[in-house]
Amino acid sequence: MSLMSLGLVRGLIGQALGTLAGLFLVTLIRVLAGMDPIWAEEPAWVTGAVLGVIGFLIGVGALTDWAKWTVGIPTPLHHGPPVGKPAWVRYFSVDYNHKVIGIQYGVTGLLMLMIGGAFAVIFRTELSRTGLQFLSADTYNTLLSMHGWAALMAILLGIGGMANYLVPLMLGAEDMAFPRLNAFAYWLNVPSIVLLMTSLFFGWDGGWTVYPPLSVIGSVGYQFVFYSIFTLGLSSVLGSLNLIATILRMRPPGMTLFRMPIFCWAILATSMIQLTATQLIGLAFLMVSFERLLGMGFFDFEKGGTPILFQHLFWFYSHPAVYIFVLPGLGIISEILPVFARKPLFGYRWIALSSLAIALVGFLVWGHHMFTSGYAEYLRVPFMLATLLVAVPTGVKFFSWLGTIWGGRLTFPTPMLFVLGAISVFLIGGLSGPILATVASDLHLHDSYFVVGHFHATIFGGFTFPFFAAIYYWYPKITGRMYNEAMGKLHFWIMTPAFWMMSIGQMSVGVMGMRRRIADYDPALGVEFGHILVTIAGFAIAFSILIMIYNLLHSAEVGKVAGANPWRSRSPEWQIPSPVPEHSFAAPIAVVGEPYDYGLPNSTYIRMAGAAGDD
Amino acid sequence: MSAATAHAVAAAHAGHHGDHHAPAVDNYKEQLRNNRLGLWLFFISETFLFGGLLAVRFFLWGDHRPELDQFIGLLVTSVLLLSSFTMNLAEKGMEHGDMKTFSRGLLATAVLGTIFLLGVLVFEWGLFPAIYQGHLTPWDNVYGAVVFAMTGMHALHVLSGIVFIFIVWRLGRQGHYTPQRHWGVEACAIYWHFVDLVWIFFYPALYLIGTPVH
Amino acid sequence: MNEKRAAAYRLSATVALVLAVLTIIEYVAGVYWPSPVVLMLLALFKAVAVLNYFMHVSRLWTAEEEH
Repeated sequence: MSLMSLGLVRGLIGQALGTLAGLFLVTLIRVLAGMDPIWAEEPAWVTGAVLGVIGFLIGVGALTDWAKWTVGIPTPLHHGPPVGKPAWVRYFSVDYNHKVIGIQYGVTGLLMLMIGGAFAVIFRTELSRTGLQFLSADTYNTLLSMHGWAALMAILLGIGGMANYLVPLMLGAEDMAFPRLNAFAYWLNVPSIVLLMTSLFFGWDGGWTVYPPLSVIGSVGYQFVFYSIFTLGLSSVLGSLNLIATILRMRPPGMTLFRMPIFCWAILATSMIQLTATQLIGLAFLMVSFERLLGMGFFDFEKGGTPILFQHLFWFYSHPAVYIFVLPGLGIISEILPVFARKPLFGYRWIALSSLAIALVGFLVWGHHMFTSGYAEYLRVPFMLATLLVAVPTGVKFFSWLGTIWGGRLTFPTPMLFVLGAISVFLIGGLSGPILATVASDLHLHDSYFVVGHFHATIFGGFTFPFFAAIYYWYPKITGRMYNEAMGKLHFWIMTPAFWMMSIGQMSVGVMGMRRRIADYDPALGVEFGHILVTIAGFAIAFSILIMIYNLLHSAEVGKVAGANPWRSRSPEWQIPSPVPEHSFAAPIAVVGEPYDYGLPNSTYIRMAGAAGDD
Repeated sequence: MSAATAHAVAAAHAGHHGDHHAPAVDNYKEQLRNNRLGLWLFFISETFLFGGLLAVRFFLWGDHRPELDQFIGLLVTSVLLLSSFTMNLAEKGMEHGDMKTFSRGLLATAVLGTIFLLGVLVFEWGLFPAIYQGHLTPWDNVYGAVVFAMTGMHALHVLSGIVFIFIVWRLGRQGHYTPQRHWGVEACAIYWHFVDLVWIFFYPALYLIGTPVH
Repeated sequence: MNEKRAAAYRLSATVALVLAVLTIIEYVAGVYWPSPVVLMLLALFKAVAVLNYFMHVSRLWTAEEEH
């Protein structure tokens, strides 16, 4: 078997060729037009980046079927692993099965999580002492900016993994509504990662928010970031489109919206934001890119523009994006809690609708990132009030979780531990939120490490902890084997206290005057001890994640066989064999009851065709 | 919301060419409804892109606008409107088995779309000074920048629409569509109308609203 | 069949005519009485016509014959 039979390899070659073609094309045009100098960095690299992405998609084969359609060649969908090749090849090539795509998303997400985490650990080490030890200020800023986008990519990929793998299984559907679009949306992420990593070599120092004017005057590395994120955004839009269509159209008889597993509601709400708001960050990045390319003065005072416009466009996506990041995780919490409490989920409808409420209110709050930007002052209070309003549906979720735990017969395997850890961490993030939403205190805390502590707590509580819970929880379903429980618990008991220390430490140094995004600080601030603690905690978290990776790899070989339903869950995906066969459901399922009636006698959620009616 | 039967779901993979194992009619109907929803979701997403551009226009220009050639504006708007009409004729032609109207309607739409595109490039952008001396550039000030951004993003969609039309026209001539089954034609048509819909809002925003500045 | 077809084409032409008239009104209003509200309302009318007659938005929720 040659290396070229891997779609990934062909794609990367295609991206390299596309990039070269772009560089060549621009240079050729400049030669023919007699422009001087012949080499123009910006247009050449931008054209190279765009053609590189297209080259990747052609090389990997994500466009092949659609290209055939345009000339009328039918393309019957192939099921199962590729013919005449080892089965693992499908994970490195275009495959239309949502379970394969889900794994592709999830593994890529874990990889980006480790890359993003590695950036953090490096610059965290620099911060543990005052003075500059081993990083220059520019390198520090580049690493910090890279950490931001690498981690955000990891989150979007992780969500894509959970959603793609779980939603069709939870609905009892055979696959997503548009399998080809699903594969296409995944494969967009890989050239996007390549572009982001390329930007590292040019250096860019604007932080993940890439505000102009800095991002207009900075190195060409920014252009790579813009087109990387644009590609990532396209993936978000198409992936969410597919998920909404799947949830609305692919449900079997009896699976009404209010009988779906609650995670599907979270994904529905998340996808509604992703589908719409993502366009605005794409637009904002295109505008900066063209301000650099052509001198279009959108954000240039001298030409009648203003950088504040960028902030509006950017945060119109990037604040709702926070809810994109946390809603699926909160859905995971609601999904797993009742299984280990052996009790019905408290207030199913309230949780379902609170996700929608967070998504909708989330569109009205972007201005709270801009209290100090100098925009019209009358905007401050409405944005503050709208932001505080988000606490209401979030509170609904918290109380519903407490209501679910209350009086339950709890057991504490690793997934349950991570769910409880998630609640505790999200609480830290949640409680520090209103402090930043309030104009008076935000004016003091803006751009300080308090903000860093706050959003790391919301993202870890809302994404990372639930993501890890999901990995442990569905690991037996995916691999057919159990993970190592002792190693899982070790992971939890290192990561959770370390995270508390890190987050609270970040908030404390912030209150004491430590600013975000600077490589050095005055010893007289008295924050050095805090920084040392935060750095130690960071290393501990990184170490604990390595334990998990080892556990996942090792247990796939030697873990004990899990069986179809080790957690005694009622959800459809646990009623079929582990690992899930190529065609998930051998026969159509029928939904005859409520999803979370754990512990209630004679309650049935779904019936598999051919089986007797008990769950 | 009618729920898909699992049978149709399994067969729904097959795109518009159908899976031979499943009852073909059911499968096609289910897939058609999925496709429609998918395309409309895409429109919703795109609405935020074009809405964002409109917001940029009002944020940066407020109640002013650049001096643009009113005759050209009305002309290209009318051409695009006419192209929507011919596109609708083409789709109805296909629905009623009138291949001649289908084929001619599509070609007329493509021609009108090309005229619109040239109108934008030659007159609004002044890309060919030999024919028409434009007075706006993308780099001078924010008026030129926004005009180029809005018309550019829209022109990109017109261009992709024209490509789409040629693909569908060719497939139609080869007999890939029937009055009963022509999702490709429907998709092409409503995509084209969506592009027209965007221009319905862009035209007053660019040409009519606000007092002109010189 | 031909009756139906002719009726469909007629409807198409009528909608196009209405859109054309609205565009002219829009242009005249824009030149002589440029009120943003009126102009956006006119655009909205045109948009609804296009959505309903050309884009068949109702096909999203009505189960009708194959197309």
